[in-house]
Amino acid sequence: MKTRKAYRAAVALLGSALLLAACGGKSGGDADGSPSGTAEGSKGTGGGTTLGIMWWGPDARHEATKKALEIYTKQHPGVKFKPEFMAWDAYWQKLPTLAASKSIPDVLQMDAAYIQEYVSRGQLEDLSGVDLSGIVDPNVVENSKIGGKLYGIPLSQNAQGIAFNKEELAQYGIPLPKQNWTYDEFFQWARDAKSKLPEGKYPIGDSTTWDGFNFYQTSMGGPPVMTDGGKTFHLDKDLFVKFYKTYEEFRKAKIVPPAEQSAAFLENDPKADPMASGAVMTRGATTGSVSALEQLMPGKVGVVNMPIGPAGGGWAQSTIFLSVSAGSKHKDEAKAFVKWFVSDKEAGAALGLTRGIPINPEIYQALEPTLEQKDKLGKDLYDLAVGKALPFYSAAAGYSEWVDTYKKELDAVTFGQQSIEDAYAKIDKLGKDLAAKAGAK
Amino acid sequence: MFISPWLIGFLLLTLWPIAQSFYLSFTEYSLLSESVWTGTANYAKIFAEDATFAKSLSVTFLFVLFSVPLKLLFSLLVAMALNRNMRGMNLYRTAFYFPSLIGGSIAVAALWRSMFGIDGYVNQVLAWFGIPGVGWISNPDTSLATLILLNTWQFGSTMVIFLAGLKQIPQELYESASVDGAGAVRKFFRITLPMLSPVMFFNLVLGVIGSFQTFTSAFIITKGGPVNSTYMYALFLYEKAFKHYQMGYASALAWILLAIVALLTAINFAASRYWVFYESEGGKPG
Repeated sequence: MKTRKAYRAAVALLGSALLLAACGGKSGGDADGSPSGTAEGSKGTGGGTTLGIMWWGPDARHEATKKALEIYTKQHPGVKFKPEFMAWDAYWQKLPTLAASKSIPDVLQMDAAYIQEYVSRGQLEDLSGVDLSGIVDPNVVENSKIGGKLYGIPLSQNAQGIAFNKEELAQYGIPLPKQNWTYDEFFQWARDAKSKLPEGKYPIGDSTTWDGFNFYQTSMGGPPVMTDGGKTFHLDKDLFVKFYKTYEEFRKAKIVPPAEQSAAFLENDPKADPMASGAVMTRGATTGSVSALEQLMPGKVGVVNMPIGPAGGGWAQSTIFLSVSAGSKHKDEAKAFVKWFVSDKEAGAALGLTRGIPINPEIYQALEPTLEQKDKLGKDLYDLAVGKALPFYSAAAGYSEWVDTYKKELDAVTFGQQSIEDAYAKIDKLGKDLAAKAGAK
Repeated sequence: MFISPWLIGFLLLTLWPIAQSFYLSFTEYSLLSESVWTGTANYAKIFAEDATFAKSLSVTFLFVLFSVPLKLLFSLLVAMALNRNMRGMNLYRTAFYFPSLIGGSIAVAALWRSMFGIDGYVNQVLAWFGIPGVGWISNPDTSLATLILLNTWQFGSTMVIFLAGLKQIPQELYESASVDGAGAVRKFFRITLPMLSPVMFFNLVLGVIGSFQTFTSAFIITKGGPVNSTYMYALFLYEKAFKHYQMGYASALAWILLAIVALLTAINFAASRYWVFYESEGGKPG
């Protein structure tokens, strides 16, 4: 009987170990992976070259890009592709594992939020040698450089701004937001608008993410929260408290929705989008994303640039790039392809606006007559934002956890679980720890 | 010899990664760069500094504490209701088991999200009765309870095991108890429960292990929020590994989870001698 019990216990323990192997196994996997996957694919067939290429995006972008790849193969019969495409989340989950196993595809789409991390790990090829004169504005090229070198070919113009429900604002007699409004005017506009809106409708949304405050701090002339690749961290306490006290006042006055409603918002979801659901009159939008909102509420969306301070406000620049893997065996072919991607007219027609406003003015001009209202909104937003735009500030490499912590601590403030000062202390400490760690490397 | 295909698979795909993760738990490893040996620094940080670790552990314990008994109770009730000889019984059994077929899937989690959303069906039904709805999953006070409810609702496989156990109970026991004048309640506590205790034990152990690893519902429905109120341990581990790329830290978390689950399972086994009744062992508990 004793042995039987021991056996049973052993089986159960082994069983639990096996069940848990899923967790343990994932963490351990790919640690010693050998170059495979795309490297294997790039041996090619029939003497030609096969380039691995990977991007994220919605279906329309997938279809358009596949069409462009076919055009390239038609023009360059020696080059074939092995495309992989997925949604944003899946892409950034997959890429680190590919990087760890040294099997990043030859050509890959990159985002301004992540490119620094991959450059700092030596994963991307220097593309400074690719001649972009006459294709991309020299200033844009200069702005896209990291440490003086170009690691990604900018693909499109993008800008941050605010979308508003022009139809309902007019209906309730609220003046529409104006270009280059200041933060003070923005806050005052929200207070005034509240008095004219019925119950259950709110002029603006709550703010709990780090980029919202980073816009504020930089527009007031302060440094971005993270500089120097994350080695310097600066979160201005006075501005922080002032900014979030304003939102605290707004929560009490019902100028922003209650916390539990804010937590349920899901952008671009027909029912849960803060604006499309009819609950909030404004929300943040970018050139690349505003068309999705316009499709949810056709004819109702207007755009304006971010509120500004003495230094400016918002950003207007390229945030999507095509990069070449530093481990690629076909660098020359890959470089030729990425240049073609932003310069060929046929490709431009096939790709349309699936990655925002094409960076190449000639290609945009060819597309302009065919644009729909949803595409024009993006262009309008860019034109409004570009004058006062500040640089695009992304979270530095290694700060993804800090970004999550920021939101969680601020959420706790909105639910009344802690004070603004406590949230500041925690966020500031984690940020300074990370900066010290980055500086030690 | 004949088990070698299985054995090789086990060694390469299970044991080796487990050993790897044990090694990694003593390192700092970001996937993009080489792993660096840091000794027990990960474990020290987890236990001494990491407030999120304590939070996610307490959320998970709360979840297990409520969802396991609720699920056992509920699935036993359904199993007893379905343990009758009635026309069309198989149809009912299938209908009740059905949610489990699609149970742990993402689709169900997404359905749950829209049901308990702030404009969801639950609040609409409540509104018919004049009860103001709350944001079930977007309010930190109710979000965990909503997930517990979902877990309880996925009672199918537990229920099927109970049903099989109920069918094993000899009818003579009930008949002779009736002759002795025992009522339904007495029969349940004196016959059904003791005879069912090995099955109950099995379901309890599996339930505890399974609940500790709850991931899908927290990941899809609430993303651990609001304010970490549903930040399950498995989700915490996953985000450390695949969102923040702290593989070493995540491996340490996985080993701590293994230790906790193993300990709880051991406690369950130790406690079982006092309440689990094996007929084959001559009627003595244990």
